[in-house]
Amino acid sequence: MSNPDTRSAAPARTGVRTLRHELPVTLGVIAAAGALIAVFSGDSFTLNILATAFLFAGLATAWNIIGGLGGQFSLGHSVFFAIGAFTVANIYLKLQISPWLAIVPAAVFSALLGALISWPVFRLRGPFFAIATMAMTEVLLSLSLYFDTFTGGSRGISIPFRLGVQNMIFRDRMSYALLMLGFLAICLLVMAAVTRSRLGYALQAVRDNEDAALAAGIDVLRTKLTGMAISAALTGVGGVLYMMYVRVADPPTLFSLFDIGVKIALIALIGGIGTVYGPLLGALLIVPLENYLRAELGGSVPGANLIVLGVVLMLTALFLRHGVMGALRAGALRLFGARA
Amino acid sequence: MKLTRRQFGGVVAGAAMMAGTRGSFAQGGPIKIGAINPYSGAMAQYGDEVTRCYELAADWVNGQGGVLGRQIQIVRGNATSAQEGIAAIEQLVGRDKVDILAGTYVTAISNAASESALNYGKLYWETNALARDLTDRGLPNFVRSGPSSNEFASRAVEGALKIVAAKLGKQPKDLKAWVEHEDSAYGTSIATEQQRLLKEAGVGFGVGSHSARAIDVTDSILRAKNAAPDIWISTAYVVDTNLLLRAARDQGFKPAAMMLCGVGDTKETLEALGKEYLEGIFVVSYPRPDVSEKYGPGAGAFLKLYRDKLGRDPIAPQGMNAFVGMKMLFEAVKAAGGVDYEKVVKAAAAMDKPLGTYETGYGAKFDAKMQNTRALPVVAQWQGGLVKAVFPTEAAAEGVAVVNLPRA
Amino acid sequence: MAEFLNILAIGLLLGGIYALVSVGLNLIFGVIRVVNFAQGEFVMLGMYGAFAAQTALRLDPYLAPVLVVPALFLLGCAVYWVLLRPLQGEPMMQVFATFGLLMVLENSVLAVTRGVSFSVGSVLSDTTIAIGPVQMPLARIIVLAAATVVAAGLGWWLRATMPGKAIRAVAQDRKAARLMGIPVERMYMVTFGVGAALAGLAGCLLSPLYSMSPQIGMNFIMPAFAVVVLGGLGSVRGAYVGGFIVGLTEALAGFYLDPALKHAVLFMVFIAVLIIRPSGLFGVAGAEEVGLREQS
Repeated sequence: MSNPDTRSAAPARTGVRTLRHELPVTLGVIAAAGALIAVFSGDSFTLNILATAFLFAGLATAWNIIGGLGGQFSLGHSVFFAIGAFTVANIYLKLQISPWLAIVPAAVFSALLGALISWPVFRLRGPFFAIATMAMTEVLLSLSLYFDTFTGGSRGISIPFRLGVQNMIFRDRMSYALLMLGFLAICLLVMAAVTRSRLGYALQAVRDNEDAALAAGIDVLRTKLTGMAISAALTGVGGVLYMMYVRVADPPTLFSLFDIGVKIALIALIGGIGTVYGPLLGALLIVPLENYLRAELGGSVPGANLIVLGVVLMLTALFLRHGVMGALRAGALRLFGARA
Repeated sequence: MKLTRRQFGGVVAGAAMMAGTRGSFAQGGPIKIGAINPYSGAMAQYGDEVTRCYELAADWVNGQGGVLGRQIQIVRGNATSAQEGIAAIEQLVGRDKVDILAGTYVTAISNAASESALNYGKLYWETNALARDLTDRGLPNFVRSGPSSNEFASRAVEGALKIVAAKLGKQPKDLKAWVEHEDSAYGTSIATEQQRLLKEAGVGFGVGSHSARAIDVTDSILRAKNAAPDIWISTAYVVDTNLLLRAARDQGFKPAAMMLCGVGDTKETLEALGKEYLEGIFVVSYPRPDVSEKYGPGAGAFLKLYRDKLGRDPIAPQGMNAFVGMKMLFEAVKAAGGVDYEKVVKAAAAMDKPLGTYETGYGAKFDAKMQNTRALPVVAQWQGGLVKAVFPTEAAAEGVAVVNLPRA
Repeated sequence: MAEFLNILAIGLLLGGIYALVSVGLNLIFGVIRVVNFAQGEFVMLGMYGAFAAQTALRLDPYLAPVLVVPALFLLGCAVYWVLLRPLQGEPMMQVFATFGLLMVLENSVLAVTRGVSFSVGSVLSDTTIAIGPVQMPLARIIVLAAATVVAAGLGWWLRATMPGKAIRAVAQDRKAARLMGIPVERMYMVTFGVGAALAGLAGCLLSPLYSMSPQIGMNFIMPAFAVVVLGGLGSVRGAYVGGFIVGLTEALAGFYLDPALKHAVLFMVFIAVLIIRPSGLFGVAGAEEVGLREQS
């Protein structure tokens, strides 16, 4: 597999960039995202779009840890998303425990499951890994429809509207936008930390050449499993927030290959695979575009919005292989490269 | 698209003012109703049909001078999932400034959208979504004018007992049934209630569920065939219903009666199976324009209205149910004297119309949870390539009787 | 016993369906290693093609391949040339590009038909052949026979003819193949076209069995990948046998366990095989890496 992002992975400078260098940038980006909310405060239509965009930006960032840095193209992250959503629903409804406290077990369950099901599947590479993760989604979807105590079966679970901060249920869209911003911030900080850590470099080494990484003394399986566990844990937290945001979810929605599994990978791809801020950029482009197309085109010609999205996807694969971030960087390099 | 819609609204508002009609509101513009339905994806066909019939009802009432002197305008909000339902509410209320929300072909969308509508203090008038849970939530802005999954289930069981068992000369405890359903929310909720009712009636039954995406359902048919039921009741969508019937035909599975819930009464099934095979198959469905004029007064007029506007016959029975739901909404708004959700819900709660008031044979009497208790599906039967209502007996048009039972 | 025989027959006939649907994917994914998620949509287009041929020309669906197969060959060539040729050696980009294509094809059909599902009829489609207690619909027997003929023909073509050998050579080592004077790009394009054409053929022959919906392609694609990987990438015999394994697994699990669980069982078997023997049942060990390694 070719490496989508060699330039950042192997800097020509002496010394390794650490989190200390990255942190100011990360905090700046989070502040900028927060500023967006401030700009649109009072416009609940836009705030809702921002909330969705930040949620998917966080999910795509989480995916990027194993998918981008580690090069393991999972199309089955909807499994962890669903685990998170069902965990919070059960803990909140059956045990009457606040959703805020459910975040921890949801993350732990997702991480455990992520490591458990990836263990055997990590023997596979490239498209075989991707296909296996899709098959995994099918298995868990069927099982969750059949064994319905945890999932509510095909009818799913709905959470009654009980307003209150302790219930993570709000009336205004502003609160949800801030909630999702918090999630995004955590994902970005984790991604930044991982990227600049020993684990991050090991993941990139595994991505670029597994055999060479092995020869260099990297424990390949352990590296992949750790990356997957972190990625799955964050995705599970995203599932918690989604559940409390929509408050009604059934297995076909949560395990959806298209709306979750492929979509978060696609957002990362469009933004820039393997980059820290690419997924956020991708989500800020795709989610509003999707909303706009659905409202403007979907009503008159059925499916027209998805035709346009499909074309965007094909064009990205063809012409923006390193995503918008890659294109920006290439442009910057062309402009200033000679002087640097 | 957007522009013309707004221009249209402006023209209508202007006309209303010139005519000197004054509503009881400060603003004299049209009453805008946001129609939340899936217009893309797998459910697009029915979402589209439901909203088309809202538009038909709006045209009809506007032709009579509108509601409270204001014209009715339908604004579409496209949603194929719960999350998109929330986004559609934000768009319709925030941007398009609708007064009332209506829908929805899919239960999950209704669930999320109606809660969001409550955030804005808007009425959510449900005509089509089936799941019982929707009204069980007790949402103060939520009213369902059409039948729920329970009414579909109970009509099916009623049909099994009063038509099939009676004709076969069997007591309920001697009757054997098979309940087949798709593993979707829709299939499961109807089938669960059917099982409860069958048990209550003392009927013995087997149960099978299948995935709507299955490439082959012969295994489901063979399991049913092994149980040798007198009546096979199936709740699924169009494509898998057709697949089940094909497998039943191929495997020579011939129970005395076959009954389909919710689907199987359209051209799509006719083309797939042919009228000879379908002869005598029962369908539990929303009342269709083929009900007798006595049962559903105005059903013929609805058909004419539809044909005049769209140049063809209705593609699905959901349409007339949606049309009637809109009419009830207009009456409730008129009685309330405005669009405020508390007033409209109160006005709806006060409605007391006997069965046989509307085109679908519905009446209007809402229970405490604002479920219309006088909205009931009918049992129809394929006869000579046409679907004809046969139960309740008053619904059957003149000269229509049950045929081909037990199935030849 | 009669019951078991019956379910066995159903599994085998279902296996024929899977084998036929997978044969084109085997060529595209198995031999030239292009990850094509839109393969199910080619089958779907084949079905709608049969419907169009019947509506417009009153053609029986079993005669529709005369028109549909060439049309899908051309479509396949075009898709390869425009969309996939630039993505050679980048399997993950192929995944995204073909997902985009899948969305475009599925929703274009939705836009045109507005979601109404169609059916086609054939003079043969209502016939069932009974052998003792075993009921076998003629339409399914035809599919099984077609899958057998196509698999045998394709195996022979790849093994014995010059273009077939060229395709295999290209798949194994592109550089060496080019040095041998094989027009590499053209071979890829033709192979992809043939794969799409075979999907079109499958669509035509399956059309009398199903009510068409724009989403039906999605129902085929995951089992088809399972079949190809299970049988062993690039092994025509493997994909043929793989089809029956999947068909029998599904039918037996559906009948004896629960129809609602058959997908879970099927894909668990698939994942298990994938993990234990990534090269598939009939594949050469290590063959799954061929064509996916970096090539220049």
